[in-house]
Amino acid sequence: MASFNTSPMTKRTSIGSFIWYMITSAWDKMVLWFISKMFAWALVVTLSIPHRYRMSHNNGIAAKGKVRIVDHPAFPPHDFFQPGRTFPARVRHASATFLDDAMNCIRSLSVKFSEHHMESPFDMEMNTGPINLFWSARSFLQFAKLRKQKWGVEYHDYYRIYPQGLEGAKVSLRRNPTSFHNLRYHSLTPYLFIGKDGIKRYAKYRAMPFDKEPETGITTDLSDWDTCNQRVFPNETRSRNYLKDEYKQRIEKEGAKYMMQIQTRIAADDDSPEIFNNQIPWDEKIFPWQDLAVIEIEEVLSWKDTLMTSFSLNNMPKSLGFIPAKSIYDYNSLNYMRSHSEVARKARIFSYKLFGYPPEIPYDDNRNVSEWSGKE
Amino acid sequence: MSNTNDQTPKTVCAECLKKTNIGYDDEGRFFMPYFKSINHVEVGYSKIISNPITIVFEWILAKFYQLKDGLISLGKWLFPRRSKIYGKLIDSWLVGKIIFEANEAEEIPIHHLPLEFWGRTKLGQWRKLSQGHSKPDGTFRLPFELRCARRFGISSLRFEVSQISHIYYSETEATTVLTIFHKIKIAKSDLIGMEYNLRTIPLCFWEYRQDVKMARVVITEHGKDAPQQYTKARIEAINEQMIPVELTKVKHLEQIKLDPDSITLAEIQADYPENLTMCIEKKLPGYTRGDDWFGERMMNGMNRGLFLPDKEEQGVYWMKYFGKQNYDSNEEYAFPDSLMKFRLKPDGLPTPVMIKLRGPLNAINRDPWQEREFTPADGELWQQAKRVARVNGGLCTEVDEHFAGTHANLEQYAIAAYRNLRLSPLATLLFPHLKEVVLINHTADGILLHQYLPSATAYTYDGIVARVADIMGVMDWKSWTTMTPLSEAHNYAKAEQLFWDITTRYVDYFIERYLDDIRKYWHEVYCFSEDLVNHSVPVFLSDIDFSHLEPREKARYEDMKEYLTAQFCFDYNLPRQHRDGQLKVVSPLTLTSALLPENEREEIANLKKACSYMIFVATFLHTWANEHQNEDIGEVLYNCLGLRYGDKESGVLSPEDDLSIAPDLTRSTQMMWFSNLLSRTEYGFITRNEERDINPYFGELLLSKKEQFAALDVIVENIESRTNI
Repeated sequence: MASFNTSPMTKRTSIGSFIWYMITSAWDKMVLWFISKMFAWALVVTLSIPHRYRMSHNNGIAAKGKVRIVDHPAFPPHDFFQPGRTFPARVRHASATFLDDAMNCIRSLSVKFSEHHMESPFDMEMNTGPINLFWSARSFLQFAKLRKQKWGVEYHDYYRIYPQGLEGAKVSLRRNPTSFHNLRYHSLTPYLFIGKDGIKRYAKYRAMPFDKEPETGITTDLSDWDTCNQRVFPNETRSRNYLKDEYKQRIEKEGAKYMMQIQTRIAADDDSPEIFNNQIPWDEKIFPWQDLAVIEIEEVLSWKDTLMTSFSLNNMPKSLGFIPAKSIYDYNSLNYMRSHSEVARKARIFSYKLFGYPPEIPYDDNRNVSEWSGKE
Repeated sequence: MSNTNDQTPKTVCAECLKKTNIGYDDEGRFFMPYFKSINHVEVGYSKIISNPITIVFEWILAKFYQLKDGLISLGKWLFPRRSKIYGKLIDSWLVGKIIFEANEAEEIPIHHLPLEFWGRTKLGQWRKLSQGHSKPDGTFRLPFELRCARRFGISSLRFEVSQISHIYYSETEATTVLTIFHKIKIAKSDLIGMEYNLRTIPLCFWEYRQDVKMARVVITEHGKDAPQQYTKARIEAINEQMIPVELTKVKHLEQIKLDPDSITLAEIQADYPENLTMCIEKKLPGYTRGDDWFGERMMNGMNRGLFLPDKEEQGVYWMKYFGKQNYDSNEEYAFPDSLMKFRLKPDGLPTPVMIKLRGPLNAINRDPWQEREFTPADGELWQQAKRVARVNGGLCTEVDEHFAGTHANLEQYAIAAYRNLRLSPLATLLFPHLKEVVLINHTADGILLHQYLPSATAYTYDGIVARVADIMGVMDWKSWTTMTPLSEAHNYAKAEQLFWDITTRYVDYFIERYLDDIRKYWHEVYCFSEDLVNHSVPVFLSDIDFSHLEPREKARYEDMKEYLTAQFCFDYNLPRQHRDGQLKVVSPLTLTSALLPENEREEIANLKKACSYMIFVATFLHTWANEHQNEDIGEVLYNCLGLRYGDKESGVLSPEDDLSIAPDLTRSTQMMWFSNLLSRTEYGFITRNEERDINPYFGELLLSKKEQFAALDVIVENIESRTNI
């Protein structure tokens, strides 16, 4: 292991180096702000308005019900998460990037503690897999740049040069799960948690089926070089909407019930930046998962309502919001970028008014696609 | 033949030895022709600069290169590459795997390669961001701080793979000097934190050639892709020493081209420096053609022959040189088997009593099994038979003992060493003695094996390669021992034993001193051993089906086996490794990647023996073969490596003045050129230690035995430290 030079900040700091530090910090934050804004406007210009697309999770189904905070929470007391408190809820399941449920995709569950399609006191977006495919704003931009999708094959170059991205993909992709309902979803990135005691903490969230039904769709020993191949199997009989159809039938028959959980840890001044790294899950033995809320879903929403349903990290109490980021390399910069994408959300909703709603995904043989063809 | 003047043969020989001894003039001169590189020597016209106008332009070019070198030195001074590593917060890594490029079914990792990650600022300053080594499985994970690599001031980034290029001793501690072998530029924008995968990096790093049976390294273009380079001093040495000889050859070739009748072989011979035999002949006419000289040179000359005791007759010894019979050859040159019977004289030197030649001796009777015996009673025929045997001996010594026994033999060890030894102290022990052998062998391929020998001897290129492979098939470090002196006059054997003792003492000292580190990096020794064994040739005759041979062939092979086994101290009974369906000749040093306690004693002993063997072959053995060339093949009519059949019935059994069987004019001047090239252009001696890469202790041990060596006519200061000519 090489020996490394100590930075000036660990020695007695001179005025000069302090001023330099302030300047560079301000510069980093400015760059982060600028890139986040530019990215959001790029989404507006390239996706939201002309195509009426979300950035990635266009293939989804929304439903409504209620969410109730558990009666005897084991997590630190918080004004928002009062025991037994009930909220109306909307959830939306989606398959990332492709308009085909039978492809090997990352699946998502987004929860809104509200029945409104936009306004809400608390939103949470979660994906399958305990680790992510990217870990900062910078890495996300690289991820977007190296997508190079063609007929269901994507991120080939990205996986070749970023091993953690590849690992994230391997553990997050779900091929042909039997239902959205039995998957495990993770927020991955940590958030603030300042409870009633005023102690600053960090929190992560996850959701799972209430009855802890085994998870399906996990592929073991996914090939290093073939992870980028997300195409449907040859002679696939499942339709492009099979998961959404299953979910509809499930809700109609018995509803869907989830347990949402929370993992907290106390913030310390000497915390390593790696605790914010979504590539490194927190040790469950030291920071155990606690039950947070039960989500009960009773009714599937229409395609239009599904399109209208949107989520935002700005829909959170300040004491539960995202952690400030310092630069585009900061692990907390992902949430920062997400929080600055309001304009893209609103632009998409506005584009529905201008150009109408995108059609439902058809039951046809146009497989392995991530865009509407326009012939629907 | 008896001498006709008052001086004794011994005093005359000593005088001539002193007179013809090759020394080194350190004074370089400008406005003299010079070579650009050792690899520019040619059998025909070497790439020599002789035209004055060309020399002027070369002078300008030389000044330009000096200026360039000066600017590079200035650059190094202004922009030094310091060892300090920049970065505190490790949040990123360069990862990947380094393998050999060869098209093998399995990837072969390159372990322990020195790796560095550098950034260069916009103002040209170097910033080291990380360093490390590849692991035994070839993978690496270099940690660095992302922000340091992505600073605005950094203009470029690169990942460097280095190799050991030089060993440098100060007192008794060795320092390794690294040179960059391969670099990969990395775009700043590609670094985003966490791991950045450079994937599998295949390197053409000391790759084995696939077109020959023995272990040879891939070099397609000497100046560009050779795995190492000659030092500048080495090239300057050959410039200074070789130019007069080269000009002589060029003059002869031009004259032959213009009018071959205007020059004779005698004139060609006279134009070259006088060698030992010519000097002696001037003072003692006929002595060098006599039996005494014949026996003495077979024992203590370039041949350093093995005298195999006769099975039946006490006091009788055999020396055998096997000819071209089972090798690809041409129809122009004779190369029969020469079986010589000797007795020892009261002074301990051998004298020939019978010579049997087996094979064609003229162009008319091509029966490969015909035999003729000659004794001193045969008068002139005896002289001619001795000449044939001497010529055969010269060729066999050059191909078997010199090229196969030292050059090709050493190359297999050199490749295995450079491929595998890096962190182990064995690199500092062996590299100074193994360096440059692959380069000179590559040159030898071109000018000797492909050009001169096929045109001046019975061998074709394929024949030479097959012969070399066969000879290497009886060479194994494990069973090798020094020659037992036949008598007090057996100077060579005594000198060999003395040098071997010094070498083993030096190696013992070194290995005991660094045993802990050697143990720690035993994986390198294991990989070295595996490469050595896997790429060694099959044991001689192990791949021949004897059941299909006729009895005479079988008997001859048995005879070859018996003699070569004794000559090269090979033990057929030692257990050996089978690899890829072949019984490999070289014994492994170890079969485990870690040094196990129960094996330590034996394997450390193996290591000592193998290292001693390598150093011995590279130094003493090669020096002997090389240094005495000019003495024994520096006179064309005396010994010329190949006698033509001619067109008479007498064939090769003709007097020396029958020039129809001697080499023609071109080959004569080429042969003299070779003899002088190989003997006069040495550089890199143990005691002189010109490049300070030899452990001073080795030199001290050698100098402590200076007098003892001198008594055996060995000048210790002339013993080379490596095989580079």
